[in-house]
This record gives sequence, structure tokens and C-alpha cells, in this order.
Amino acid sequence: MKARVLLPLIIFSFVVILLWRGLSLDPNHLPSPLINRATPAFQLNTLFDPKKTTTQQDLLGHVTLLNIWATWCGSCADEHELLVDIAKDKTLFLYGINYKDNPVTAKDWLKKQGNPYQIVATDPNGNAAIDLGVYVTPETFIIDKKGFIRYTQIGSITPDIWENTLKPIVKKLQGET
Amino acid sequence: MLPELGNFALILALCFALIQGIAPLYGYYKNKSLYFQVSTVAVIGQVGFLSFAMLCLIFSFLNNDMTVVYVQEHSHQLLPFIYRVGAAWGGHEGSLLLWCLILSGWTFAFVLFSSRQLSQKTFAKIIMVLGFISAGFITFLFFTSDPFRRIFPEAPLIGDDLTPILQDPGLIFHPPMLYLGYVGSAIGFAFAIAALIEGKLDKSWVQTCRPWVILPWSFLSCGIVLGSWWAYRELGWGGWWFWDPVENASLLPWLSGTALIHALIVSEKRGAFKGWTLLLAIITFALSLLGTFLVRSGVLVSVHTFASDPTRGLFLLCYLTLIIGGAFVFYGYRIKDFYRAPNFELFSRETFLLINSVVMLTAVATIMIGTLYPIILDALNLGKISVGEPYFNTVFLPIILPVLLLMGFAPHVNWGHQSFKKLWTKLRLNFMLCLLIGLIGPWIVGFPFHLLASIGVFFGVWIILATAQYVYNLLKTNKKIDLSHWSMIVAHIGIAVLALGITLTKSYSEERQVKMQIGETVTVGGYQFTFNHMDEATGSNYKSIVATFDVSQPHGTTRSLSAEQRLYSSHDQVLSKPGILFNIWRDLYLALGTSLPDGSLSVRIYYKPFVRWIWFGGLLLLIGGLLSLLTLQKKKERL
Repeated sequence: MKARVLLPLIIFSFVVILLWRGLSLDPNHLPSPLINRATPAFQLNTLFDPKKTTTQQDLLGHVTLLNIWATWCGSCADEHELLVDIAKDKTLFLYGINYKDNPVTAKDWLKKQGNPYQIVATDPNGNAAIDLGVYVTPETFIIDKKGFIRYTQIGSITPDIWENTLKPIVKKLQGET
Repeated sequence: MLPELGNFALILALCFALIQGIAPLYGYYKNKSLYFQVSTVAVIGQVGFLSFAMLCLIFSFLNNDMTVVYVQEHSHQLLPFIYRVGAAWGGHEGSLLLWCLILSGWTFAFVLFSSRQLSQKTFAKIIMVLGFISAGFITFLFFTSDPFRRIFPEAPLIGDDLTPILQDPGLIFHPPMLYLGYVGSAIGFAFAIAALIEGKLDKSWVQTCRPWVILPWSFLSCGIVLGSWWAYRELGWGGWWFWDPVENASLLPWLSGTALIHALIVSEKRGAFKGWTLLLAIITFALSLLGTFLVRSGVLVSVHTFASDPTRGLFLLCYLTLIIGGAFVFYGYRIKDFYRAPNFELFSRETFLLINSVVMLTAVATIMIGTLYPIILDALNLGKISVGEPYFNTVFLPIILPVLLLMGFAPHVNWGHQSFKKLWTKLRLNFMLCLLIGLIGPWIVGFPFHLLASIGVFFGVWIILATAQYVYNLLKTNKKIDLSHWSMIVAHIGIAVLALGITLTKSYSEERQVKMQIGETVTVGGYQFTFNHMDEATGSNYKSIVATFDVSQPHGTTRSLSAEQRLYSSHDQVLSKPGILFNIWRDLYLALGTSLPDGSLSVRIYYKPFVRWIWFGGLLLLIGGLLSLLTLQKKKERL
């Protein structure tokens, strides 16, 4: 009889423990399914020379920070200053994809705010972004020397995230052959 | 000035709530009944100051006082007056204030109407429990979610505006109605704790408790239905229930509340199920607190959640654990005092009502598991999934069907003992008739056969006709049908209408998504929709495109139907406002999509038969519940 009477309490305890665990989880955090996979193939025009094309081959041979950005995206503006700062480290290769944007506005923005990217590709229809699984801007991919996606940063990069999360990963990947 | 006064009022309300909780304890210790009366006065103080605080908040909104953070986040210079009032409870802080206010309001009503019906000591215990619950929530409100927080000195001049989806009459009615139901379950909980403390549950307890369980349940029914109606009108896809975690959170206390009402009937009429009644009262309030937690903690993804803050979630979780955990522990200790050997046979009305409880709790468990499943998997590192309609629709239907079946039989089943043969003889003609109507009814009226529709028609008509037969039998034996009978009759018919509405609209709705130019016609559900013209319109804080259609009905008459696409200046957000032509039998629903470059408009047109029956069923539940209140008034007058 005692056990049956304690049943509500036992069930309740399970629910409470579950919810307590749930508080430290983030249901909105959806990890990318592309981790440890090769960057999907793409072919885009560059921003500053629309006749020139760029593909995923341009990501090989160095650790790349692939940054999806747009001039209409507020959070992208937030991280831009940090990106310009990061780009001062010449061992780092920053590759920007200008997403569903106006190329004139984009060039203008980079002229005024500084251009951290070695290559800027344009993705006016968002097709490459779809293949990369992008669902919110900005999104930044850390890609290793062999062209495999090793980490995705969803949302803007803050100095804290750069120092404590992204930079260590980049350094580690740069140490790999 | 006003926000400071509001803040101060909160502090005073907290003091009164603490007095309300502590004074009876002290009264027991000192064995002086004076302290019980003190707690009654504290109730008045609490409701008075919380009302004042709410008024301060509402006036801060009406004045658009942007120095108050909460006002700045939810209001705007151009926001219409009525929505400024609604915005007061449109966000986390304000809705929590509403929660506290309604709890104190319920307590006050309880003091006003039921102080004479219980022994002073029992009454004091109930007030004490409510006082502690209240004190906990006001503490939570004041220390983590103060609506009167201010920004000095650099207050933004422009407000962030209320989310456009919330700028609808639904905002005025749905949250207060829902909270009346949610929060009211605290009284049943307090009753249960009082009974556990005293180790007994007597007739005065049951009779006094009943209206304080039925009335919140009625408001909750109405609140849920209002939410469904609002979503239907607002979201533009013709849907009215999405098994969203927060929707489920409101359904759970409703289900267990239904079980509680029926267990109370058995406790009152036969003195049985007392332990069960107590457990259900605790569970109902626990589910209501769980719902409050889910909306504000950020553990689940939902369109309804307030801005999530895990620290608030933690506070609520601790509070929930303390109150409900404490209640369950207490229940474990004391429940053996309530055991009674069952004095009814296997086939009797008691068994039917027991099955009702079991089915309701099964539904609660099933829905809860489905709602919490994403957290379970994530916590065990098994990945991220979402659980939605396919799961809930599949599991809920088979669970609810037995109850619908038994509902028809139950009023005819005797207490204590019922012969199955006699019951079947009495009802078999009726039963067969309903089977027949279910099978061929829709077809006769012109709809194709659809299994779900036939099931729905069978069960809906069965409940209605079986209940009608019950009324007929009562009249035939010259027994008086008093109000308590009527409340059951109306509520049960409400469920029948609800079941009919849901199954018929799910079976026979038609939808078309088309691209239309001015002058084009599309046929949906037998009605012809012709795109007549387009206008521009301006509201106080939005600009809109209005598309007007001519709808011609099968028998000739043509009516006009307009739908809007609104652009709200503050949010840069486009909100689609559907146009609806409705009568008792069907809704014609039209929502605008994007304008296409060639000047045409993307349009969604829905034919939704019987969808209003869903909300009408909910209304009947509200009426049925309110009718049972009048029963008690009459009992009092007779004394």
C-alpha cells in the first residue's frame, strides 16, 4: 500500500528532475547536420568582379571562416567590427557569402565599414545557403584545410564567443596537417 | 509617480499575503480564533492592493510612460487604446501580475461567499494555503519580474510596440478567462490540503468545494475555446488547434479538472472516492503550475512562450517542487485516513465515473509525455526531435472515444448496482438509431462517406439522444428536473457538439491555394469566389492592402468578403488578416498571401463546415458550469 500511495510523488519527482535538466538545455539550438562532412559544392560569382567565379575549392589548403552575411541583417552589422579585427591575423582566411543582397549596397557597406574577407561571393537566390543548411543570418562555418565543416556558429560572433569558443577550434585546426 | 505607487502596492500586497498565510498558523499555536479573522482581513488588503497595482500598470500603458521598461517593450505611440490595456498582460511581467491579481480575487470571492459554509478552522486552513501560494507568486513577481522597473534617465522615446499578432480582440478576453480557470484550481488544491490536515472530508467540505471547482473549470473551458477561436481568426491557415506545448498545458488541467468534478459528485452522493478527489485536486493545480512554468521557462519551443529566462524558470521550478512535492508527501502520509471499502458493484454509476477519471488521467499522461518528449530525448543526449499533430491526433482519439460512449449511458446507470440487461433494453433502440445516423447521416445531407465523420456523428448524436432520453424519463416519472440536472445536460451536450464540430470539420473541410487576378473566379466547397477589387487602407499603426471578393452561394445570393494584409510600421512585419463569412453551418475563410509581380494575389480559400460548433460546444460547457452555481444559490435560499 505504501508504494502505491507514493506513486504520485515518484512520478512528480521524475518530471521535476526532467524539467530541471531542461532548463540548462536550449531547445532552439539545432546543431548542423553537416558537421564533419565536406562542404557542399557551390559555384558563385564574386562581389567585386561578377565575371569571376568561386567554388568550394577555394576553401582548401587553409582553415577558413565562412561567414554568411547581408546588409539588411542587423546582427551581421553587430559582428562586422569583430570580423575586421579578426581578419588582421593573416593566417586566417575569411570567406564571405553575401546572402540575398543588393551587390551595390554590399560593396558600399564593405567600403565604408571595412572588408574582412579575402573572397566575397554573392548568393542572390540563397541556393548555396540552402545547401549549407543556413536558416538564420549571420551564420559562420569553421572549415578545415581539407574542406570539411568542423563547427557552425549560429548568430553573431561576440568577442567572448571568439576568444573562448571559435579561436581555440581554429588554432587546433591550423595545427592539423 | 504611478509606477512607484504600483511597486509600493506590490510590496504591501506581499505583506498582506504573508499575513494571510501566517496568521492562521499563529492562531493554532496560540489557540485564538482572532488570528483567523485577521487572515480574512488580509485577503481584502491583498486584493485591494493588487487591483491598485494593476490599475497603475494599465494607466502607465494608457499614458505610454516609456520610462517603464515593460511599457516600452510592449507599447507604442500609435497603439490603439484598447490594445494598450491588453498589452498590460501581453508580456511575462504583466501577465504574472494578472495571475496574482486573479488569485487574490478568487480568494476574496471565496471569503465573500463561503465563509459561513465551513467550520472556522477549515475555512482558516484554506485561506492559509492560498495565502502562502499567493505570497510565493508575488515574491516571484516582485524580485524577478517586476513590471514597474524603470529606465532612468535615458528612456527611449519610441516603444517597441505590441507584437502585431496580439493586436486583436482575443487579447482582451483570452488571457483573463484562461487565468480565471488556471488560477482558480488553487482553491480546490487548498480544499484538499485542508482536508488532509484535518484527516477528514465531510459533507460540508464537498458541498462547499464543488462550485469552487466547477466555476474555474468552466472559465478554463471558455478560455481554451477563446484561444482556439483567436488562433483561427488570426493565423490565416484555418487551423484551430495545433497541439502546441502551451495549448497542451492548458488542456491538461482541464482534463484532470473534468475528472475532479465527476469524482466530487461521487464523494457528495455516495461518500466514496474521497482519496481520489483529493489526489485529483492536487494534480489539477499541479498541472496548472506546470503550465505556468512551461510558458515562462524556455524549456520548450512554442509560439506562445514569453521571452525565456532560465533563472525565472528555476525559481518557478523550485516553487512548484515545494508546493506540489509537499502536497504529494502530505498526501502519502495522510491518505490512509480516507480509505473506505467500496460499497458499489462492478456495474454501477460509480464504476462509470471511475472509468471517466482513469481515461482522463490516461489522456493527461499521454499528452504530457508527448509534450515533454523533446526535453526527455535532449536531456538523455538522444538528439533533437519535435512531437506534433501526428502523435497527438493518433493517441488522443482512441483514448477519448470510450468516454464519449459511456457518457450516453452514464445518466441511466444507477448508483451502487445496475443490471446490464435492463440498461441495454432501455437504450438499445436509441443506440441502434445513432449507429444508423452515424453511418448514413452525412451521406443523406450530401457529404461523401468519411470514417471520422461517421464516428463523430455517431458519438455526438448518441450523447445528445441518450441525454434527451434521460430528460424524457425524468419528465415521464414526474420527477422534477432541477438545475443540477440541467447543468449536466447542457455540459454533456456541449461535449457532443464539440465532438461533432471537430470530426465534421476535419472530415469535410476543403482548401485551395490559388493565384488570382482581379475578375477571376474560383470554386471551393460549392461556393464561387470572384476577386472584385483591391484597396489600400490605414489603421492607427498600420497600413494595409484590402482585397474584396464576391462570394456567390449555391442558391443565388452574393455577399462580399474582404481580407487584409497589414504592414505594421513598428515591426516591419506583414500580418495577414483573413476574412470570414460565417453562419451556423459553415465558415468561408479567405486569407491573402503575397502579391506577385504580375499584379495577381496569392490567395488561400477554405470551406470549413461546422467549425463554429467547436466554439459553441465550448460555450455550452461554460453555461453548464455556470448553471451548477445557481443550484447552490437555490440550496442556500432553501436553508
